Amino acid sequence: MQVAVNIAVLAAIYALICCGYVLIYRVSRVLSLAHGELMMLGAYGLYATASLFGGHPLVAIAAAGGLALMVGVAVYLALMWRMTGESVLAAVLATIALGILLRGAMILVFGTQTQYPLRDLGWSNASLPVFGARISVVGLVLVLATAAVYAGLFTFLRFSRWGIRMRAAGQHPLLAAQRGIGLHGIYALAWGLATFTGGMAGMLIACDAGLEGTLVIIGLKAFPAALVGGLDSLVGALVGSLVIATAEVLLIHHVDPLLSDVVPFAVLLAMLAVRPWGLFGTREELDRV
Amino acid sequence: MRKLLSIFVTAALPFAAQAQDAYVIGVSGAMTGPVASNYAPVVEAMKAYLEHINARGGINGRKVRVVVLDDQAQPSRAATNAKQLLEQDKVAMLLNVSLSSTYAPMIAESKRAGVPLYFAGAVCPKETYPPADPLQFCSTAFGANLDSQAALAFVKAQAKEPVRIGFQAMAIPIARAEIDYAEGLSKTMGMTAVEKQISPPPTPDYTPFATKLAEAKPNWVWSWSPWVAQVRTFESMRRLGWSGRYVTWAHLNAEEELARIKDGEFYVVGTNAFLEDNLPIHAEIRAVAAKAGLNYPVSYLTEGFVAGLVVEGVLKNTAWPPTPQKVLAAMNTLKVDMKGLRGGPLEWTKDNHFRTRQYYRVWRWDPAAGRIVRAQDWQAIEVKR
Repeated sequence: MQVAVNIAVLAAIYALICCGYVLIYRVSRVLSLAHGELMMLGAYGLYATASLFGGHPLVAIAAAGGLALMVGVAVYLALMWRMTGESVLAAVLATIALGILLRGAMILVFGTQTQYPLRDLGWSNASLPVFGARISVVGLVLVLATAAVYAGLFTFLRFSRWGIRMRAAGQHPLLAAQRGIGLHGIYALAWGLATFTGGMAGMLIACDAGLEGTLVIIGLKAFPAALVGGLDSLVGALVGSLVIATAEVLLIHHVDPLLSDVVPFAVLLAMLAVRPWGLFGTREELDRV
Repeated sequence: MRKLLSIFVTAALPFAAQAQDAYVIGVSGAMTGPVASNYAPVVEAMKAYLEHINARGGINGRKVRVVVLDDQAQPSRAATNAKQLLEQDKVAMLLNVSLSSTYAPMIAESKRAGVPLYFAGAVCPKETYPPADPLQFCSTAFGANLDSQAALAFVKAQAKEPVRIGFQAMAIPIARAEIDYAEGLSKTMGMTAVEKQISPPPTPDYTPFATKLAEAKPNWVWSWSPWVAQVRTFESMRRLGWSGRYVTWAHLNAEEELARIKDGEFYVVGTNAFLEDNLPIHAEIRAVAAKAGLNYPVSYLTEGFVAGLVVEGVLKNTAWPPTPQKVLAAMNTLKVDMKGLRGGPLEWTKDNHFRTRQYYRVWRWDPAAGRIVRAQDWQAIEVKR
């Protein structure tokens, strides 16, 4: 049972990170390689608000969430807007540059020490029994938050006016624009939501294991899960995360822990050889890239 | 044009004069990047100490100039830095304060130029142990193999029941080699090695590794890795309900972390004194750190001060004008009083560039007293061939 709980928590981490990659790619065809840094910025946002609103943890969390959303919108307005009409490669390179800039800025502002936002919020990470296994409180929150985020995004994209516009812009931007949909507003919203979910992943990982520079690399480790599931599919991100997490945890438990670092990429290579557009991705979209 | 030239000459002269009048040493360190938290405090503290020495008149009447270049723990950058320090800055001594993956390119450059290379941040390479490589020296607290010997000796001394020991390391060559050595050593000491977990750097969740380790039911675990892997595995094991004793290596942040974790069965083994000891040198460290405006907790600065004391000791015995050969000769006969920061003096000989004797202490959190206490006082291990 403990193995199943471990799979659920790891899959939730990957899925929460992945949905940012998918949202931006699905709407604007841009692969954001600054997602790890934006995720870490979200975690530092929580660290900052936890100090600012000491004694009011819920206010601090809400402020950090709002901040992450605004940062995403600001990134689009300040940088990615200018990449409209440029090649996809130029936009991807711009995200790499953004990532380098953010990494340097975070070291300058927050230093290199490990921080513990959960402690600053005045909470501790206790352990809870679940069907004969154990899960940390933050682990449980991660699983529930991921479920809530995906349920929210499915509802938003399927039933809300802005969600339908977002899907339309992703499917055919020219036609969507001709129907009067403001593409810049849609793209800004996609960047905002992606940074919000990525930031949320960063905050929860930092609450569970502390906040340090390696968080950026964890952001990149989730990337194979997004590709395995299909880069333009939220269902794919969920399934891809589950596949990668299951492979990793089972190998750690039954074969060799060293293989856990290799297996996401081995699964990815196998998927690229058999079905390059991923389990739930769209073939046409990939051909266009 | 003439005016421009005169401005350039005027601007350049003080630097040239400064370089000629000062002992110049060059550092390649991981000042930024994912592992900077382990290395930047060492460089900053060493620089602050040497600036403090400069303010008191310098060494042998000369200032010490420290040129620091950031390698972000990347081997290629370390190689470029070493070239620049040797060819442009003409340093008399090279320092590495970075991840072990940066060692090889710096060793190559040091050998090419015949300039001594001093490791002041990460694990001492085996080449500094007797019989030592002529150009490589090390003062850092870590001592491959010796650390495991000290930790397992502590476990054996403490254990009242048969020892079932588990091992944990991060998947980096130096940590894996150490934990493999410890596993073999434990068997010769009559312990039962029950499980070994190697986690990749970094990993989003340590629970899967901790689960496997906890399921083997060890009553002791020894972990020798970067701090993140050591402590996250321990915390995950505790959340899984494991109640054994966990022994780890005391990194720069160990003192602060013991107070955060507050677990009476979480032990750290190390060779540097803690602020808890409240030595006269600690007051000096506090004063220097405050004057330099360092942002790190004072407990992070010991290793940097050790490096500062070593550089001071070497340069004191280097007659002016300094050359790499003179610096090397001084390093081969070094004996520095560590002022209580270590269990005894740091001594290098022509054959031993690590130290002739390594002293270990063990600390833990005492829940009853609500403070850090020594679980074992200085124990010496002779460093021989």
